[in-house]
Amino acid sequence: MSAPVPISLVVNGETHDLVVPPRKLLSDVLREDLHLTGTHVGCEHGVCGACTILIDGQPSRACLTYAVQMEGHELTTIEAVAEGDRLSPLQQALHEEHGLQCGFCTAGIVMTFEAYLRDNPQPGEAEIRDVLSGNLCRCTGYQNIVTAILKAADLMREGQGA
Amino acid sequence: MKPAPFTYHRPGSLNEALELMARYGPEAKPLGGGQSLGPMLNMRLARPAHLVDLNDMLEMDYIREVGDRIEIGGLTRHHRLATAPEVSRDLPLLAEAARTIGHYAIRQRGTLGGSLAHADPAAQLPLVAVTLGAEVVLRSTRGERDVPASDFLQSIMTVDLADDEIVTALRFPRQAEGEASAFELFSRRHGDFAIVSVALTLRQDAAGAVSSLRLGLGGVGPVPLRLRELEAEAVGSQIDEAAAARLGRSAAALITPEDHPEVPAAYRRELVETLVARALLRAAEQEGAAA
Amino acid sequence: MTADTPFTHIGQPLPRKEDRRFLTGKGRYLDDVTLPGALQVTFVRSPHAHARITGIDAEAARALPGVVGVFTGRDLAQWTAPLRLAPPIEGLHPVEMTTLPVDKVRFHGDPVAVVVARDRYTAEDAAELVEVEYDPLPCAADAETALAPGAPLVDDTLPDNLVSHQSFRAGDPRARRAEADRVVEARFNLHRHTHVPMETRGCLADWDAGRAHLTMHIGTQAPHPMRGQLAARLGISETQVTVISPDIGGGFGQKIALYREELTVAALSRHLGRPVRWREDRLENLTSASHARETQCVTRAAVRADGRILGLELELTEDFGAYCFYPANYMARVIAMILTGPYKISDYAFDVKVVLTNKCGNGPMRAPMAITSWVMEGTIDAVARELGLDPLQVRRINALRPEDLPFTMPTGEVLEDVTPLETLEAAVQAIDLPEFRARQAQARAEGRLLGLGLCTVVESTTYGSQFYKAAGIPGSGHEAAWVRIEPSGVVNASVGLMGSGQGYETPLAQAVAEGLGVTPDVVNVHMGHTDIAPYGMGSRGARGATAGGGTLYLCAQKAQARVLAIAADMLNLNDAQGLRLHNGQVERRLEDAWQATGVSLTDVARRAYLDPTALPEGIDPGLDVSLTYDPPAMTYSNSTHACEVEIDPATGRIRIDRYVVAEDCGTVLNPLVVKGQQQGAVAMGLSGALLEQVVYDENGQNQSATLADYLVATACELPDIEILPMHTPNRKTPAGIKGMAEGGIMGSIGVIAGAVNDALAPLEVTAEQMPLSPQRIRGLLRRAAHSDAGKAFSKSGTATDTIHGTPDNSDGRTNRA
Repeated sequence: MSAPVPISLVVNGETHDLVVPPRKLLSDVLREDLHLTGTHVGCEHGVCGACTILIDGQPSRACLTYAVQMEGHELTTIEAVAEGDRLSPLQQALHEEHGLQCGFCTAGIVMTFEAYLRDNPQPGEAEIRDVLSGNLCRCTGYQNIVTAILKAADLMREGQGA
Repeated sequence: MKPAPFTYHRPGSLNEALELMARYGPEAKPLGGGQSLGPMLNMRLARPAHLVDLNDMLEMDYIREVGDRIEIGGLTRHHRLATAPEVSRDLPLLAEAARTIGHYAIRQRGTLGGSLAHADPAAQLPLVAVTLGAEVVLRSTRGERDVPASDFLQSIMTVDLADDEIVTALRFPRQAEGEASAFELFSRRHGDFAIVSVALTLRQDAAGAVSSLRLGLGGVGPVPLRLRELEAEAVGSQIDEAAAARLGRSAAALITPEDHPEVPAAYRRELVETLVARALLRAAEQEGAAA
Repeated sequence: MTADTPFTHIGQPLPRKEDRRFLTGKGRYLDDVTLPGALQVTFVRSPHAHARITGIDAEAARALPGVVGVFTGRDLAQWTAPLRLAPPIEGLHPVEMTTLPVDKVRFHGDPVAVVVARDRYTAEDAAELVEVEYDPLPCAADAETALAPGAPLVDDTLPDNLVSHQSFRAGDPRARRAEADRVVEARFNLHRHTHVPMETRGCLADWDAGRAHLTMHIGTQAPHPMRGQLAARLGISETQVTVISPDIGGGFGQKIALYREELTVAALSRHLGRPVRWREDRLENLTSASHARETQCVTRAAVRADGRILGLELELTEDFGAYCFYPANYMARVIAMILTGPYKISDYAFDVKVVLTNKCGNGPMRAPMAITSWVMEGTIDAVARELGLDPLQVRRINALRPEDLPFTMPTGEVLEDVTPLETLEAAVQAIDLPEFRARQAQARAEGRLLGLGLCTVVESTTYGSQFYKAAGIPGSGHEAAWVRIEPSGVVNASVGLMGSGQGYETPLAQAVAEGLGVTPDVVNVHMGHTDIAPYGMGSRGARGATAGGGTLYLCAQKAQARVLAIAADMLNLNDAQGLRLHNGQVERRLEDAWQATGVSLTDVARRAYLDPTALPEGIDPGLDVSLTYDPPAMTYSNSTHACEVEIDPATGRIRIDRYVVAEDCGTVLNPLVVKGQQQGAVAMGLSGALLEQVVYDENGQNQSATLADYLVATACELPDIEILPMHTPNRKTPAGIKGMAEGGIMGSIGVIAGAVNDALAPLEVTAEQMPLSPQRIRGLLRRAAHSDAGKAFSKSGTATDTIHGTPDNSDGRTNRA
């Protein structure tokens, strides 16, 4: 049956009971059913990376996942990154280094690197660009984003918060 | 773009999954990482009536020694292949190739079984499977069968997989100690599918002459191509720049790629020539590259 | 910034106000705006490049549960007026376009029907059930085919596919050809691009039947012109339409015109009496939104033996696609107008043809004149090559010097307050040309291909009303602003622009703060809402800083004068002489220093709003000031790009080892933002030159419909750029602002071609066609291999660069991590 089914999603630590069609993309469910519009949709074929969120702490394309698949998993979206008014070191670094312009790709980049820097605290520029290559940005040319990520890695290693 | 409607199944065990495949057969598609199938579903290029989600089959996410082989479960993610120490140690060619697949986020989800079943002619894992002589383990309610990767991959996105079967594992002969390997690929952008790719393993004797070579090409035909004639030609050679160049030229002469308006056949041949030579030189220079 | 800057806030690298909401996922883009009960649409699109529509059967589609309706071109023709473009320009054919095609489709992706449903999933299910009968027609798949006699007619109302043809001559280029020592011919083929904003097109139309009023939520760079278009096409008054632009995820010129889809959605909302929304998916965006650039140029330069250009001729053909959302001469014209740019050339002729083909229609894409600098600099390089001269010397001998300014270009454009020779010399020094040439010679001896490109850009920005008048293009270049100091002393302001990511909020607040005498943090600039913002011409053509910032600055100055008149009275002074507002405090010049008076802006505002009887005679209550400003016909900024590349002869891969830009963009409102614009422009230009390409096959089928086919550069393909700021003010614009943000595209396209051709020079082959893909470069090398010059470099298969499938393994990027 392709009729809507009840599922329970854990997003940013909160449990939500929803009824969704099996084919409804996770990106659409987050945005429409949960009103978490910080995750953006740029292509729906997994290339642009704008929809990247964390599934069980690892970056993944929300547009290539069906919401029904996510019961029993922990989802993290951009809305969970800042703590109240306090930006994360990565968010703060992107702001200071002018690592965003229109902002549409930004959440996907933040989610990717919040996870990556957590697991790889001392990346070189080549590694950063390797990981960043999975997020398309049409505005910045990536230069300031790379600078910001290097800066954030330094800050995180030094244990300084935002 | 939104997918066409389907019925979603989430089996809790492999047997359950196989039951579903048996029941729905041609109307069902197994869902692994979703990184290749997802775009096709969203673009309605694939419209299975039933989707069988394999992501709970954690028993299919493993890397284990089985005799002189390394068996890797079909649900093992690319990221694990790229980073697990045991893969780097026992199947360095596989680890090196896995590191080049797509992008970091893609590698968190994409699976070995999914990549083999999808059989994109430019993909890394089918090429490595053919080059290393891996076997594909297929299971259905009717039982299990093993197929050499080179037989499993039949044509562009066409495999020897019955409607009710799932790729549950691949078995790779462990790469020998002292065997060097190299994976080269050429693409327009970092992370794109390869235009041409080369996977090889190399053993040299004490004098530095080639004692065995396994060499596979991706992107030059509908399926990965083992260049056995070239492998034979290389035996006994000292791999220096001239020899590498010569073998590169021989490799290019052995293929008949299609002419495409964006990628002329001549260009593909040139890439083969260059990448084979580079891969050979790099492998030859690896430490401990001796029989 | 130097210590002796005349400005307090202008020129400060303040981080941006909008960052917080974008970083935390609290931006409000179109799809984040919700209206209960809104329906969703999807379009049924033609699979054919050219075909008659002989029947549409939507019965099965309409019967699907959740479908509200299916409508076609005939329905839209009843609800809306067609678009007629008929500016009185000689050589330009008038054209008309129905809202949706009625009789025939003209390109692969042309929308023929629209499905309205409760959600997009259902709408797509229904769209598959709509049966459209087509009678395929032969297609004009490229400009050459379209211009051939007997070609299929893209627009049946035109005699042929040549929709626009203009010629011009100044001086006597033909005579100069006769006098010349040599006539050098050069060709430049720029391929078809598309904008690819990360956020595709979309809109949300809300027709209020009770008030007969349309509120159109749409990401648009030009809200007031959009409002006017909607009103005209829907046959309602401009008072019945409000356009509200939310945050926009990139525009680059694709979000200016009122396209068929958005107009359809607005008409549907009115017809159904419900909010209706549309999200363009990426396949639609790549195939059916708008395309750009596909232009072929041929230049003929009449030259003296020392490289001096006596006369220049340009032939240009643009493949415009099937529909004109803009006058067809619009983009091509700019190229031809400013081609001579930084060079002292007076004998100049151009012939510009714009051709219709069965492809998606063109629109302006960031730097519509993108090809210009490649053509001019490439011509210079061709002259140098053919005469065996140093390309830098050829530039110098033809360059406009400071003493030549103001210089009237042969097309009548006046260049002044530009510094192209200075930016050239600065770039040359920064790149250390002699050192490079030495390294290049050494590398050549080893069979390696190093190249260096130089590209000087004179970028036209802003476009005042006089420009449009002279060009015969309807429309104005002025801008409008208001500045309102509120009773509490904070400042609301507005201008007729709308940002799509370039980051207006902070620099424009800085312009207001500077003009008024407050700090930027108390200023809020409102944009994008046509009921709030004054009627402005929107954001395009790099006019944001000069037109937008300039108007706000002048308006804020006017507001300061008003404030000081009241303050003078409060201080019992006869007039405001010797007073200024500085960071919100009124100060008085006494004994050669500014001294506090104890009167703040808040004090003045309170009096103006709440105690108006205390105001001096002749001063009305409130502090609300408006102003319009018409910039000069044209404003120019300039830059010189320099880059070093190495080409891998075996694979044709281009690696950029160094990239430098020396730039003069006048007074800079916010250097952080300007630097970001330059980086982004260079990135977009390089991405286009190396990777992007819209591909149609001979049947007009679009072969680049996904982001896996249309390749946009990633972080691994782009170099870091070094920027040398050398800003000099424009003496005719407010605060000396010049504008920028498109020149980076012109420069990057020109410089990468120059560098590649410099690298290939010993092989005596030239790249004339973009994109500069590895296979194209290999094709040139293969051709050269048969020549004597080429044989020295035809070592394919050598391990020159070991590339391991790492971040180095892609076009463009330097491997100096």
